[in-house]
Amino acid sequence: MIFSGFLIGLIFGVLLQRSRMCFNSAFRDVLLFKDNYLLKMALLAVAVQMILVHLLAQMGLIALAPSGLNWVANIVGAYIFGLGMVLAGGCASGVTYRAGEGLTTAWFAAIFYGGTAYAMRNGGVFSGVWKWFQGFGVAPFQYFDQTTGEGFSKLYLQKTGQTLPSVFGVNPWIVVVICAALILWYVFGTQTSERESKIGLKTAAVLLGAVGAFAWYFSELVGRNYGMGITGGWSNIWSVWLSGKPFSWDGLSVLGIVVGAAISAVMAKEFKLRMPRNPITYVQVMGGGIIMGFGATIGGG
Amino acid sequence: MADYGVSRVIDVRGEVCPVPDVETKRAIKGAKDGEILKVLVDYPLSVERIPESVKKLGSEILEVKKNGGSDWEIYVKVKKQ
Repeated sequence: MIFSGFLIGLIFGVLLQRSRMCFNSAFRDVLLFKDNYLLKMALLAVAVQMILVHLLAQMGLIALAPSGLNWVANIVGAYIFGLGMVLAGGCASGVTYRAGEGLTTAWFAAIFYGGTAYAMRNGGVFSGVWKWFQGFGVAPFQYFDQTTGEGFSKLYLQKTGQTLPSVFGVNPWIVVVICAALILWYVFGTQTSERESKIGLKTAAVLLGAVGAFAWYFSELVGRNYGMGITGGWSNIWSVWLSGKPFSWDGLSVLGIVVGAAISAVMAKEFKLRMPRNPITYVQVMGGGIIMGFGATIGGG
Repeated sequence: MADYGVSRVIDVRGEVCPVPDVETKRAIKGAKDGEILKVLVDYPLSVERIPESVKKLGSEILEVKKNGGSDWEIYVKVKKQ
């Protein structure tokens, strides 16, 4: 069943390649070019996945297990990750699917990104920094009592990381409805930048969100209470390569994304070994990869 | 069909977004009214983006031609108000 990770990754890779999804471009387009196409696609996919994941949890098919809340590490890590992704030429999933499209700089970015994430989690370089940041973590929250079955919410594991609902003490569905409503208002209520693309914004977002949600279900079947995870996946690939560890669900899903994007690019006649004209770009993406791995690990994602 | 009397070629093959987009815009800004630019691109996302940026600048896309693999030629007619 662990191979469901590879299949989910494969489908996700095809979707990412077709939809050109990329958080890095999404933010850059809005801030520098006043073009909101990709950001709307990303946010709509988030809304779809958010609703579906909570539905799956409501039906008892999955239990949510958010990683421990750590305001300091989450904010600092995310900021550093953002610097890294600009240098590396893409966010985590962006680099992963572009590696499959034949972008050679993405290969180097991914290698250094995954290698750094693996090292930090396994006592290697910067692992002391990671441990130091962990000291700011907020203690996990008791979502319900196992013996009585009573408590705050049964959508989560019994005791796991804090969430917006637990911090504000409101029903998780209230947070879902408010966030989804804000996103839907932004996506459908404001003007969208035009772009000719293979699959439309809405179709792409719904498919990406749905596959993302099913990822939670299939990964739960192998005892992993989480959705897709690119950083953990690359880190796992490194542990397989360096220390002979077995593949995990997310490691296989990352391999699936690379293969899926490659198949999709070849079929669309878009595959090409792309090399930058300026070789310095390789140095830049390797540095970016290290910074991304560092930021992602500190940020807890 | 590809003989538009191209006055300048912008070769951004090997570059990924946003470089092809930015270089095309820069070339349009530096060109004269009526000039024909040919942009060589090999990155699919940029092929979808460039026509929208060209239109935003008020210029015209004459043709987006795909050459076999991941290679495109975009013909732009520069228009200055």
